[in-house]
Amino acid sequence: MPILQAQALRKQYRLGEHTVHALAGVDFLVEKGEFVAIMGPSGSGKSTLLHLLGGLDKPSDGEVTLAGHRLSILNDNQATLVRRRNIGFVFQFFNLLPTLTAEENIALPLIIDGQDMRKHQARIAALLELVGLTDRRQHKPDQLSGGEQQRVAIARALVTEPAIVLADEPTGNLDSKTGTAIMELLRRSCDELGQTIIAVTHDPRAAAYADRAVFLRDGQIIQEIKGAGADEIGQRLRLIVNAMEELQL
Amino acid sequence: MSSTYLLAFRSLRARPARTLLTTLGVVLGVAVILAISITNLSTIDSITNLFNETSGKAHLAVISATTSDQGFPEGILSRLTTVPGVKVAIPSLQAQTMLADEAAQGEVSIFGVTVGGLTLYGIDPSLDRQAREYKIVAGQFLPLDLEAYDVVLVKDYADEKHIQVGSELEILTSTGVEVLRVVGLMSKEGPGQLNNGAFGIIPLRAAQEIFARLGDVDQIDVVATAQAASGAELDRLKSALQARLGERYTVVYPAARGRRLTQMLDIYQIGLNFFSIIAIFVGAFLIYNAFSMTVVERTREIGMLRTVGMTRRQVMVQILTEASILGLLGSALGVGAGILLSQALIWAYEFLLAQEVTQVHVPWDGLATSVAVGIFVTLIAAAIPAWQAGRISPLEAVRIRGSRRASWARRGLLLGATILVISYLTLYHNPFSPAIHYEMGRIAVFTMFVGATLLIPSTVGVWERVVRPWVRRIYGAEGQLGSRNTQRNELRTALTVAALMVGVTMILGIRGMTSAFEHDIRNWIEVYIGGDLYAYSSLPVPYDLGPRLEAVEGVAAVTPIRYFDVKWVQPDGDAQVLTFMAVDPPSYRRVTSFVFASSQVDPDRLLERLAAGDAVFISSVLSEKYGLQQDDTIRLATRRGERDFTVAAVVVDFYNQGLVVQGSWKDMRRYFGLNEAIGFMLKIQPGYAVDEAQSRIERLYGERRHLTIASNKALKSRVPALTTRSFSMFDVLAIIGMIVAALGVVNTLTMSVLERTQEIGMLRSLGMTRRQVGKMILAEAGMMGLNGAAFGLAFGLILSHLLLWALTALQGYELTYVLPTEGIVVGLLIALVVSQLAALWPARRAAGIRITEAIQFE
Repeated sequence: MPILQAQALRKQYRLGEHTVHALAGVDFLVEKGEFVAIMGPSGSGKSTLLHLLGGLDKPSDGEVTLAGHRLSILNDNQATLVRRRNIGFVFQFFNLLPTLTAEENIALPLIIDGQDMRKHQARIAALLELVGLTDRRQHKPDQLSGGEQQRVAIARALVTEPAIVLADEPTGNLDSKTGTAIMELLRRSCDELGQTIIAVTHDPRAAAYADRAVFLRDGQIIQEIKGAGADEIGQRLRLIVNAMEELQL
Repeated sequence: MSSTYLLAFRSLRARPARTLLTTLGVVLGVAVILAISITNLSTIDSITNLFNETSGKAHLAVISATTSDQGFPEGILSRLTTVPGVKVAIPSLQAQTMLADEAAQGEVSIFGVTVGGLTLYGIDPSLDRQAREYKIVAGQFLPLDLEAYDVVLVKDYADEKHIQVGSELEILTSTGVEVLRVVGLMSKEGPGQLNNGAFGIIPLRAAQEIFARLGDVDQIDVVATAQAASGAELDRLKSALQARLGERYTVVYPAARGRRLTQMLDIYQIGLNFFSIIAIFVGAFLIYNAFSMTVVERTREIGMLRTVGMTRRQVMVQILTEASILGLLGSALGVGAGILLSQALIWAYEFLLAQEVTQVHVPWDGLATSVAVGIFVTLIAAAIPAWQAGRISPLEAVRIRGSRRASWARRGLLLGATILVISYLTLYHNPFSPAIHYEMGRIAVFTMFVGATLLIPSTVGVWERVVRPWVRRIYGAEGQLGSRNTQRNELRTALTVAALMVGVTMILGIRGMTSAFEHDIRNWIEVYIGGDLYAYSSLPVPYDLGPRLEAVEGVAAVTPIRYFDVKWVQPDGDAQVLTFMAVDPPSYRRVTSFVFASSQVDPDRLLERLAAGDAVFISSVLSEKYGLQQDDTIRLATRRGERDFTVAAVVVDFYNQGLVVQGSWKDMRRYFGLNEAIGFMLKIQPGYAVDEAQSRIERLYGERRHLTIASNKALKSRVPALTTRSFSMFDVLAIIGMIVAALGVVNTLTMSVLERTQEIGMLRSLGMTRRQVGKMILAEAGMMGLNGAAFGLAFGLILSHLLLWALTALQGYELTYVLPTEGIVVGLLIALVVSQLAALWPARRAAGIRITEAIQFE
């Protein structure tokens, strides 16, 4: 049974007098423990797809089912609770709370859920260990490097043992070496913890860590490749971009 | 330069709410300063004008040097008319009466001004119009027959009492009812404004007969010749007349007679002047906050302007240009608001003086000062945001801005503490004279707030940690996230806390002052209105009524009371009008007692000293203000010349704002020629019901002697309400202060939500519900409210002490400091409630943030 299923997803926006078709009918499936990368040129709809999969937005048409929850029939509060307990998010710009320590930032979903952080010390410690920040647990974000902050964000995403982790350009704000370390961490969480991960990225090297790369163009999935390396993924992406440019000409 | 203005106008127009908020800050400061200036000037002008108009064309007035309660022989007219420079001398007699069919209207305010009744001037109809203008609107002016029992009334009064031309008017005198014929009605202008229009004129002889004052006049108005009518010549004429008349008479400019009324306003002016400084601070805070917010919002825009070549200086000038536009706009609107606000203050003054303020003047210098202050304060308040804007890098146009970590906490702690120490020294250890001390003190109040504001950032973290468990209990875990947010932008938090602090300070300062007054006045009234009943009349009552009242069944003792004005000749030659309260010491001690300033006295011995004569008690206000002690002497002008009276004791007495001396009935008869009482205090025998005795006396003497019998309990119960009304104008200012504080909270939290849009989007994506987001913002506001309340409590108590000090130093009022517990509770509650109410909109805005927009928000 897939952990995540999207059927005929459509999303339209009004931009002044124009209607933008961000997604034009997407069918998408993710199995438990899978690591999927979503790629595409700018404006292809990859971030929109991620937002819909994560219940951050509602589709104009179609359905998303996550861990047995049909997201379209949930009201805002219900969707929020589903997110809280079933989805972990990793953002491009880390988005840690500057007033909390690394340890507290990791525990943030639990705090929001009204749980006592002290009851989850073992889990938090394990995650700190996983991300290699045990000795930085009491540091605040402004005392951490970009890579360290993103690792805290990953640990935060994992703390509730979510059904799925959604990462939006997780290496977009990092140098290549740090980016590599982050992707290795995500890969490890998938391999060691069986975590299901979907990552939106424009970087073929990041996408190479995934089990499968899905390519979007003009709001539709046009290709998928499995187990490809960075070079092949990069080549496919270039072909897609070139094809788009030829069409526009 | 034109592009600067173009950008400035566009920017202001693009943010109407922000523009309005900033303008409001300027409007507030300008309005308060101007309102106070208008009110003070208008009130003084009205009173001066009133006395000028009643004197009309008269250039000088001759009055008794001793007391205003008795006249002087009209024979001195012949001495006046022969003095070169005198064109005509116009006599008049002034009497207070009431209509026979009305109960006594007199309401004794705590400031010793009796209102109501009917004021009648006995005039010479052939001469008086050379001095005064009477606009007759019905009937005719008085006939030339000086003995005719005719009267001309003010039309407004006549209409109110349903009196017409041709009616008969029955008035009360000390000997009974007299009948006058109404021959005309005048408009409420000029002298018609006296006693708020309850005024009339009758022929002089008739007045002298009716009021048993044959041969007496109370005032002679002098119209000077053209050559002597002004300047140095008028001064010479005044001196010549004084020399001709001698020390038993005083020659004055007509307007000087208004001083007695205007001196009642001194207390209010002290308080209002303090609060005008606070208004400037609050206004400046609002302006700073609003400009700060604008700069934050426009960081990317400003970064872009820097990218295309705008220098730092040009950016600063841009912001300051916007500030100057708002300063001008706010000042212009502030002038209008100030005129409106002055109406409220003038209403309060009218209540205090029991006289209409008819002259509303907008003083040019007050206008210029308030506008200048408005523009200046706007520029100063916008200076820091302008400087910060100038520091924005062009890179801000292309990157996510990080939160700038301010090091205000460390710097502010030192600077704030220094400023507070200097303020403290200025306030409490100032070697200068009271007048200079007072002015420095006003500025020190402002610097005290600045110092406290700088200290606040250092305390935020401490507060947050102390209060955190409570925050969690009330707002949940998300509340803790909110309370921690107060530490993120220390300066912005400090300014919001400061605004709340000022609001609470104003509430506490006012409550402290009011509590002290209420406490001391209540204690004083408790003893002052002694005995069980008070029998009084608007007219003087024969002294022999006292024994008759004592003979009534159930009455244990009766003592007479009389008040009249007396001139105190001070050592430097200046004269001050005081109230002389005459008592009969032996009977006084049987009914009530004085409240002596010192507890180490023998009251019986002191009363015996008073009874022996040539001695007075003085009020603690006089003692404090003029440094007078027991056994000193004061010189009073009497009918037998100036006499020294020994100060036998200092007593607590707030009558006539403390400008009162108490003397014996014997001395009043001997030196001032008066023997009638204005009222009697009665003590009822134990076992007798007070209300029964009251009814009995009313039946026997109420109508016959035109007495009103009031229970002292009823009289005392009116005092707290009077005190509250007297200070109500300050409550208006406190409310304004809290409204501005609330706007400050709204502004700060809106800015905070704006800066954290992405973060809030993240929290929502992690599973924080909208409700939890709202609670987070409310908790942040509650934290600031609590912090502001705590600081406000500390400084409010200081301000209340300060106001009382100012009253003591400048007016001689020595009041007991009473901890304003009600004010403390109210202030704390208001700060918390205001912070929560003000947070509702920002909380709603935060909760309504769309997640997808927020997480992509830059």
